[in-house]
This record gives sequence, structure tokens and C-alpha cells, in this order.
Amino acid sequence: MSDDLIDEELVEYESKRTGLTRQQLLARGVGLAAGAAAAGPAAALAAGEAAVKPKRGGRLTWALEQDPVHIAPFGGILTSNHWGKEFMYDSLLEWDANLNVRGALAASWKVIDNKTVDFTLKRGVRFHNGKEVTAADCKYSFDLQASPPPPGSVAVLGQFPAIDRTEVRSKYVIRIHLKKPDATLFGYLAWSRYSPIVPQGMYNQLNPAREGIGTGPFRLVRYTPNDSVEYVRNPNFWRKGLPYLDALTLKVLPDEQTRIAALRAGAIDGATLSPDAARQFNGQRGFRVLKNYTAAFRELQFTLKIGEENKPWHDLRVRKAVNHALNRQEMINKVYGGNGAYSGHVPPGYGPWPLTQAELRNKYEKFDLPLARRLMQQAGRQRGFEVTMTTFSTPADFAALASVMREQLKRINIDLNIEAQEPGTFAARNGTGSFEWDLTARGMRGDVNGYTAEFNPSNGIYNRWYPAYRNVSMWRRVGALQVTLDHQKRLGIAKALQRQLLDEVLIQVPLIAVQKFQVVRSRVRNMYVAFSDFNTGIRNVWVD
Amino acid sequence: MQQFLFRRLLLLVPTLIGMSLIVFLMVRLLPGDIVDIFTAGDTTITDEQRHQIKEQLGLTGPLHVQYWDWLSSAVQGDFGTSYRNTTPVSETLVDAIPITLELVFLGLLIAVVIGVPLGVVSAVRRDKGSDYVSRVAGLIGVSIPSFWLATLLLLFTSRAFGWVPQFSYVSPLDDPVENLKQFIMPAFAISVFTMAIVMRMVRATMLEVLNLDYIRTARAKGVPRRKVVFKHGLRNALIPVVTIVGFEVGVLMSGAAIVEIIFGLPGVGWNLLQAIFNRDYPLVQATAVLLATTFVVFNLLVDVIYSRLDPRITLE
Repeated sequence: MSDDLIDEELVEYESKRTGLTRQQLLARGVGLAAGAAAAGPAAALAAGEAAVKPKRGGRLTWALEQDPVHIAPFGGILTSNHWGKEFMYDSLLEWDANLNVRGALAASWKVIDNKTVDFTLKRGVRFHNGKEVTAADCKYSFDLQASPPPPGSVAVLGQFPAIDRTEVRSKYVIRIHLKKPDATLFGYLAWSRYSPIVPQGMYNQLNPAREGIGTGPFRLVRYTPNDSVEYVRNPNFWRKGLPYLDALTLKVLPDEQTRIAALRAGAIDGATLSPDAARQFNGQRGFRVLKNYTAAFRELQFTLKIGEENKPWHDLRVRKAVNHALNRQEMINKVYGGNGAYSGHVPPGYGPWPLTQAELRNKYEKFDLPLARRLMQQAGRQRGFEVTMTTFSTPADFAALASVMREQLKRINIDLNIEAQEPGTFAARNGTGSFEWDLTARGMRGDVNGYTAEFNPSNGIYNRWYPAYRNVSMWRRVGALQVTLDHQKRLGIAKALQRQLLDEVLIQVPLIAVQKFQVVRSRVRNMYVAFSDFNTGIRNVWVD
Repeated sequence: MQQFLFRRLLLLVPTLIGMSLIVFLMVRLLPGDIVDIFTAGDTTITDEQRHQIKEQLGLTGPLHVQYWDWLSSAVQGDFGTSYRNTTPVSETLVDAIPITLELVFLGLLIAVVIGVPLGVVSAVRRDKGSDYVSRVAGLIGVSIPSFWLATLLLLFTSRAFGWVPQFSYVSPLDDPVENLKQFIMPAFAISVFTMAIVMRMVRATMLEVLNLDYIRTARAKGVPRRKVVFKHGLRNALIPVVTIVGFEVGVLMSGAAIVEIIFGLPGVGWNLLQAIFNRDYPLVQATAVLLATTFVVFNLLVDVIYSRLDPRITLE
């Protein structure tokens, strides 16, 4: 097993506590760091933490890098919105730590036909105000999801599945009618970011921007904008035995150095830090460094526009040359200190959907300079060309990554001019397709379809980025992925599509998946870094 | 005096209108708007949805109509609602202003309380060791960025003492001691630059004043040295300090943004910075009007105080 996958501090701690040797602990799965492919992060950590009995009580203070802005359950655009509200709301479904879909408020679900799904609720689940959760509450919640009132925004409706209407079949059964077959429904519900269930009429009873009533493990005490979100334990949480904590405070600390200082002084118990900042805590008494892959893989994107067919990258051979000239391992080593993995269009760690590392490294994303040069020659571009690549000015790793790419592409005579842009400017130009190449990142998606939607020609963004590109078989696969409900069939389609995108399409060149680092004080137990970029691990945390 | 005040206050109106128009246009010249920020990375949103959001936020329609809508509401005290959280902008600023005012006030207080005596000592003990030390300290003070110093202070106290100030704003009315503990470090961080300028200004002015005839006359008449320096000399040397302090109020209100972020104090600067990054136009515009008003009002106050301190100056 790679040493990168072993949490040495946990192993050392457990060794001293239990008297077992390192070998014995590893054999039991203790100390397998988040990201261990075999067991998955939560399973690995759970295996380790299972040796320790959870303790009830105590308070945890966690730092947020951004203010939630509001904590309304519906229409929240920013990821930080969910950071602020994720502990008080639940959806019908949820992901476990390995992104397997399972029931949350729903005890079970049944696909009636390809446009109808029934969800049966768990009985006796109560909101924070004591009211039982019923199908009527679900209908109310879905109606608001379809049309989020302020402070929510309709900007999130791009994620909303093709739900036509919902129907209350009985007190505990809610039926979802789809406009068309849409397999993204389950992922959307499991993601829970846009699909909390709230009591009927909640929006008339309180200010949802600052208050809320849910079913989550914690009950809201207060949200102070730009300051903190305070929670107390929900003693009637439907998952018996949880939460362990008595209270949870999410403190807004945008500056990283402030978070570091607060960690050292004990003012907070955990925070997300950059890799370099987290590294300073390695081996330090009183702290643990956790890490895991996230969905925000880095990617090189081209535009293929009508009237610009003379541009070199319109030729697939040039795009393939670029793909094989880029040394992803070198990027991982130089920019991310060795912490990273190859990524396809679906990032590693996203459940069963991504291609394997072996396939990516050895075939589709293999670093092969001679091949790259041959391809450039075949395309008549052996002398290379000049191109401008835009990227974000912040975070700093984008500029660093762009610099490494520039050096690598020089080897096939491509002269890369890097233009680092402020995020708002980048977003505007990216959205309108006003770029040649850009180095960007993707994010979390509720369903695997979210990673391939931009290859659908009926999608507006496709016509801004790739209007000159046609590939009917690809388009058919993209469509099939959305409408196929059978999981195994869908898995096959997703893999075939990814291979096709990497082999004969390559209008985007996925690069690497990066890791997210969170540092916690040693008193914090059972925490893991969630792939989803939320702080879901806190739900099951206890403190010594 | 009344005429002077009336004229200056009257001038405030076109100044603010002109400034608000400039800010209105400048922020819209920045590439992207809040819809682009909202939908960045979302490859599924349709053009119709984008347009719908823009319509909801009042971002469609000619610019002059948008400006007029904003201006006509603003004169009635309605500065609109934040695009990000739909909170009324005035509510956000009402929460933010006391934080920034306290920070700026404390910062200036520290700057003056330390800077003035240092400047006096430096002038009186010219070319002695203490003068050199003060001058080097002054040079360092104008060179150190406040945000760097703020970070350094925080990291130092967390490492050396295992202590950091509380990062949740505590009102002085609720707990003055905790409030002071919370503000002393950020106030010191923003005070250093002003402190250095005050020190150098006092030194330069004192040196000038101490060479004047009336000072020589006072000494010749046997007036005690302390009285010569503080009663006769310093009073004149303080006049430029009034100008600096008045000017710095406006500068620090916006310039303290990063220090506010570092110490978790959601003041005016913090909100303005967030609003610019997120293209939250109503908040940007309202904050700009607020800062411009502050500048103008405090400069007016400085002029009035000046005329009181120096009878040779008349307001016209």
C-alpha cells in the first residue's frame, strides 16, 4: 500500500493507546488515510475510529472560508450557502461517504415506470418544531425547489431534474412525476444541496434567509451574517444515537492565516487549509491533517468556433498531441507536492463512475512526448503555434499549474501566453466563450450527467464553446446517459462516453484531481474530508 | 461661517451624485456581473434562465434607466437590496458602520497618542539618539503594509501565547473589556502608518515652529522649557495633524478592509470588497456613497476645526 494512503499520526496515536503495532493496526484498517481507494474515506476512518468509543457531549467550532450569505433551504447558489445550512436539513436521499446513494428521510423508493417514482417516508421522523414529516411537507418542499423564492435564485434550476409535479399518494408516500425519463433525479436528491425537506408553510412563518426548521442532526440557534452560524443538538434526530456533539458553531474566517492562528490558539477545532498551510501541521502534536480528493478537478478547455476552423486545435491530432505532451505526474509533483491523481471527465472518487487510474495513466492520458510530436507533425504543426490561455488569478495553484503547462507544451513548440484573470472576469468570459483556451476547474455535481451536460448540443453553453464541433455518436451517448434509469446500463454508458471523450473528442482535456486538506485538533474524532466539498463529516464527529 | 457651511453642504449634493454616477458606470465596466458569478461553472443553465435572473435583479434595460431607478430610491433612503442575500443594503451598512467607526477611531487614537509625543521628542532632541530611533521607526511605519502587520500580530500571539482575540464582534455596550481586547490588535495594525505620518509631521512642524521668533522671545523671557514646547510650540504643530486625521478617517474606512477580514470584523471595508468581487452593485454603490460622504464631511470638519485652532484662517 502506498505510504501516501496511511495516516501516520493516527496510527501512532492508536499504537500508543492500544499497544498494538503499526502492522497490526494497518491490518485492521486503522490509519488508512482518506482517499484509500479500496475502503473509501469513511470506511477507512471508521475502521480506525471503530477502535475508539464515541463520546457524547461537547462543542465543536469549525471555520468556514466564506460567509453562507443566507441559509435559505432552496435556491442557494454558493457552496458556502450549503456549508451554513447542511446540518439542519435533510433530503429524501443522501450519499454515504463513498457517494453511494441511500435513503435519508425516505425509507425506500420504487420506480413505477420511466417517468414515475414513489418515495416512502420513514415514519415518526420529526422536524425541529416537533411536527412529523409527511408527504405533504415533501410536496411543499418540491414546489419551492422548482421555483425558489428569494433569497434563493432560479440560477440553480439548471440542476433541477425534469420533475413535472409531485403527488401526495398517502401520508407517507410522495410520487414524483417526471416530464421525461431523467436518471439525474436520485443524484440530485442525494446531493441534498438543493433538495431539503421543510415543514409545510415554513416560508410564511419565518425568514428563511436567517432561520430554518429542518430534520437535521442540529437545530439552528442563530445565524449572524459574516460572523457565525450556531447550532445545538437535535435530540430527536431520526438517526438514533447521533449526533454526538451538544453544540456546533461555524465561524466565518475568510483569511487563511487567521484560521491557522485560530487553530493554534484553540479558538477553532478545525478548518480547511491550502496544501502548503496544512503541511505545517504535519507531525505536530495536537493536530491531525486530513485529506481527500474533491470534485474540483483541473481541466484545459478549448473553444471550437465556426469561422475559426483554421485554428490549430480544431484538428483532433493537435488536441491529442497536447493531451500526451502534458505530464500530469509532473504537475502533481511540482504544484501539489505529490498530492493528486489523474482525472478523466468524471473525477476520481465520484462513486463508481470514473475511469480507473490505470486506464488514464497508461492509455488515455499517458505522457508520451514522441507520440505528441508525431501527432503535431501529422497535423502539419511541427513548428507549433501561439495561443492564449486564460485562468484564474486566485487560488494561486492555477497560475502555478499554467506555468508548468507552458514549460511542458514548449516541448512541442506550443507557445502558451498565460492570462490570469480575476474570478468575476474569468466567469464572464468563460460563460460567453470569449477565450481560446482556458485552464479551469469543475465542481461537484449531483449526478454524473452533470459532468457531460456541456457536451449536449441542445445546451446553450455547447453553442458558445463548441459550435464547430459535431459528433453524433457522442451526442447520442450523452443523451442516453441522462435518460437511462437502469444503474448498470448507465454505468456502461458513462464509461464508454468518457473513453470516447478522451479518445476521439478531446474538446476538453481533464488534467488532475486535487486534494482538499482539513486540519483538526486532536480532540476531534471521526472526521473525514467529504468529496462533495461540504463538511458532511461533522455530522458524525465527537470530541474528546 | 454659516454661509460657508451652507455652501459646502450644498456642494455635497452634486459631489455625491457625480461620484455615484462614476461608481455606477465603473462597476458595470468590470467584466461580468453577478449572474456570471452565480452561474460560473454551471454548464446547464440556459440563456432564458440567465435573462430571467437578470430581469429579477433589474439588470436589463438601459443604463440610464437603471441609474435613475437607483438614484430616485436612494434619495428616499432606499439603497436597494443585496443581489447576494436580498438583505436591504441599509441594514448591512447599519451593522457594518459601528464596527469600522470603532476600528478607525481606535486606530487614529493610538496613532495620535503615540505619534504626537514621539514627534515632539524627536524634534526637541534633534539629531540625538532618540531622534534617530524615532525617525527609523517612522520610516518602518510608513513602509509596513497594515495587513501584513495584522497577520504577523495574529500569528505571533497564537504561537507565543496561544491566544487570539475573539473573532465574533462584541459590542462595547455589551462587554467593553472584551470589545477592547478584540479591537486592540487590528486598531494597532491600522494605526502604524498614520502614526508614522503624524510623528514625522509633528517633528517637521515642531522644528519649524521652535525656530520662530516668538518661541525665542518666550525663552528669553524665562518661560519654562516645558511650557514653551507644549503650550506655545505644540499647539501650532498640531494644526497639520488635524488635517491628517481628518483625511485618514475616510482612507481608513475603506482601507481597513483586509484588516477587518483578517480579524473577522465585518465592517464597511469588508462588505465593499466582497461586493466588488461579487458584482453586488447596490452594495458597492451605497458603500461608495457612504465613503464619499464621510470624506467630504470630515474634510469640512477639518476646515472648521482649522479655523478655530488658527485665528489667522477665516472661512470664506
